[in-house]
Amino acid sequence: MLEFAERTITVRIDTAACGACEAKACVLACETYSRGILRLSDGLPSVEHLTPSEVVRKGTECLACEYECRVRGKGALSIEVPVEGLDAYRAAQAAALAHDRLAGEGVSDGHPD
Amino acid sequence: MARLLEFQGKGLLRKAGLPVPRGRNASSPGEAEAIAAEIGRPVAVKAQLHAGGRGKAGAIRFAASPAEAHEAASALLGTEIKGFAIDSVLVEERLDIDRELYVGIIIDSARTGRRPLLMFSRDGGVDIESVPDESIHRLHISPQGGLEVYQVVDLLVGAKVPDELLVPLATICSRLARAHQEYDCFALEINPLVLTRQGELVCADCKMQIDNAAVFRHPEMGIEVARDFGHEPTPLDLIGWGIEKADLRGSGFVMDMGYDGVSPDYIGFHPIGGGSAMMAMDALNQVRLKPANYADTSGNPVGSKIYRVAKVVLSQPNIQGYLLGGFMMANQEQWHHAHAVVKVLREVLPEKPGLPCVLLVCGNKEEESLAILREGLADCVGATRVEIYGRDRVTDTLFIAGRMRALVEEYQAELKGGDRARVR
Repeated sequence: MLEFAERTITVRIDTAACGACEAKACVLACETYSRGILRLSDGLPSVEHLTPSEVVRKGTECLACEYECRVRGKGALSIEVPVEGLDAYRAAQAAALAHDRLAGEGVSDGHPD
Repeated sequence: MARLLEFQGKGLLRKAGLPVPRGRNASSPGEAEAIAAEIGRPVAVKAQLHAGGRGKAGAIRFAASPAEAHEAASALLGTEIKGFAIDSVLVEERLDIDRELYVGIIIDSARTGRRPLLMFSRDGGVDIESVPDESIHRLHISPQGGLEVYQVVDLLVGAKVPDELLVPLATICSRLARAHQEYDCFALEINPLVLTRQGELVCADCKMQIDNAAVFRHPEMGIEVARDFGHEPTPLDLIGWGIEKADLRGSGFVMDMGYDGVSPDYIGFHPIGGGSAMMAMDALNQVRLKPANYADTSGNPVGSKIYRVAKVVLSQPNIQGYLLGGFMMANQEQWHHAHAVVKVLREVLPEKPGLPCVLLVCGNKEEESLAILREGLADCVGATRVEIYGRDRVTDTLFIAGRMRALVEEYQAELKGGDRARVR
């Protein structure tokens, strides 16, 4: 497993799947859409040629490698893009709507209005 | 622009050596009463909110005694004025006004300006906007050299300011210019600048707006959201600000439009560029659809930022569709939008199957972008109402809005006929 951080995202590559990948589309995508921080090393995608701070500085968070890996590769690459506060917002919205629905059906959810 | 409340601005003016009335902020009637007692004179009790016209709105009251200050604060605290909840009042000495002046410094963004602009008028106070243009005296300030005292004196002489006020007024203008620069202000206005019957000049009000891009340099200001909303920031606004606050790689703007989460005919709105957004809104109005939010991803934002905006837009409950509206031939590389939107829709559409999505992307790397959208969504679970358009529809807002409307009606009929959960 290769995991590295760019400025606001985390990229994870299950390199065990990459050996069987002929396309190596993630590396080509990185050259095309970003600054080529992903390179092949012993046939596997790697950022070893850069320091972690160089990865952060040079990475453009274009998300293209994930797309290309899924479409033309082995679906071995995932990118985590956190959105601050979104999980709490979604939970609150869902709870409020569920509460309204129960209230509309005349059922109490145990919480005061 | 990030706006400071009056009491915050006056605190900074005081530090900059400018004369402000004695007083402090209070969050309870008891505190207001205690401050009035400390001052030991009649006071003004002023509701703190991010809006002008407070006098006419009843947000400023006068009190002759601490007990009256208590009463005034009780009447203001906990109320809502101009859409803002009042949770604090500024209690300060009431000034014995002889004359009201105006002085302000803004950033003049006109082609011929592009510098700070000092404005002075002998006719300050309420309705400053209706003061005739010839009564406003203007002076550009050199960003390098700052404001020279002789320049201000020249301006004030031109404004026919009495001799005895020239030096004190020039001093105030000079200090104001330094404060404007030091605090990275977009606008710093004192209206009114009061001349008391005792002959003193006092900053009776303060409107201070900080350049959004400079807020990070001023943690001491405690600005939570560096945006100029017409309302208190909602949870959605705060999430939107979180996308931008430390990431200036292009615009990634999201703002709440007051959607209640249940009303029909609201869609997730993701325009690309401000002008494009206005065109799209006009068209949506014509087909009786409403934007649940405002957004903008322009200025060549990175894919992660576009992803965040689209994810937030699509996370609003019960929206009836999603419009990616690039009604312009954009110079930015649109393929970053394509990658980001594919990623989001592949996450969201399985949870909201059949959600209408109309995607319009035009401009640089358009063909590649359209190909990415088509290929990336071809096998996406739930992507049964996705339509993708390019430059042949770039200004055809009514067509795009019409397609959105048609898909929304289909979707609503499906929801009505089906037994799906209401929360989607």
